[in-house]
Amino acid sequence: MENKIKIERAILDLTQDELAHKIGVSRQTINSIEANRYVPSTVLALKLSEVFGKPVNEFFKLSEGD
Amino acid sequence: MTTQKFIDCERKRFEKIIKFRLPHKYFMIGIVISGLTIVIMFFRGTLIEGDSEWLKLLLQKTLLVGLTMMSISKDKIEDEMLLQLRAQSYTIAFVVGVLYALIMPYIEFGVSNVVNNGGEAYKDLGDFQVLLFMLMIQLMFYHNLKRYR
Repeated sequence: MENKIKIERAILDLTQDELAHKIGVSRQTINSIEANRYVPSTVLALKLSEVFGKPVNEFFKLSEGD
Repeated sequence: MTTQKFIDCERKRFEKIIKFRLPHKYFMIGIVISGLTIVIMFFRGTLIEGDSEWLKLLLQKTLLVGLTMMSISKDKIEDEMLLQLRAQSYTIAFVVGVLYALIMPYIEFGVSNVVNNGGEAYKDLGDFQVLLFMLMIQLMFYHNLKRYR
């Protein structure tokens, strides 16, 4: 799974901590998602979608191995 | 109550039990209880003269209670990633604990017989030893997984 969370976050000028606070997770979780070490649940993905104002598949994409 | 409602009620109760966690402050309380217990364990012999077996058993239970409190208390921000890491750590602790309970008695028996000629007889591990080991493995793996997330 690949994602563009870091780019979307930069567009909104949000820090990891601010984004984490908005969706109710820890900063480390956002860091892990951005680094592709953790794939979030549908609920968390939809919360991110709400913050970014974009559909989930615009910032999450399946990679070849998935 | 219909069968479906009964099943839903059972499911909700079951989920409530599964999701049960103590508040974060219990982690510190658990550390204090465990720490104090370990200190008292060291000085048990000097604290009470004569038979102190009852104190040893009591301290063992207290240590397990302290570690359990640490194990089931929430983090400051308990999110889905931490729930996953916690589940992973319990899985690892269970598997390692079973292996420990199976293998360790033979190692103890072997070492004892190598060091002392005709050493100790074979004996199984006690519940305290296995539970302590499992709790320690769980806490260690959980905090390591958290650190490297």
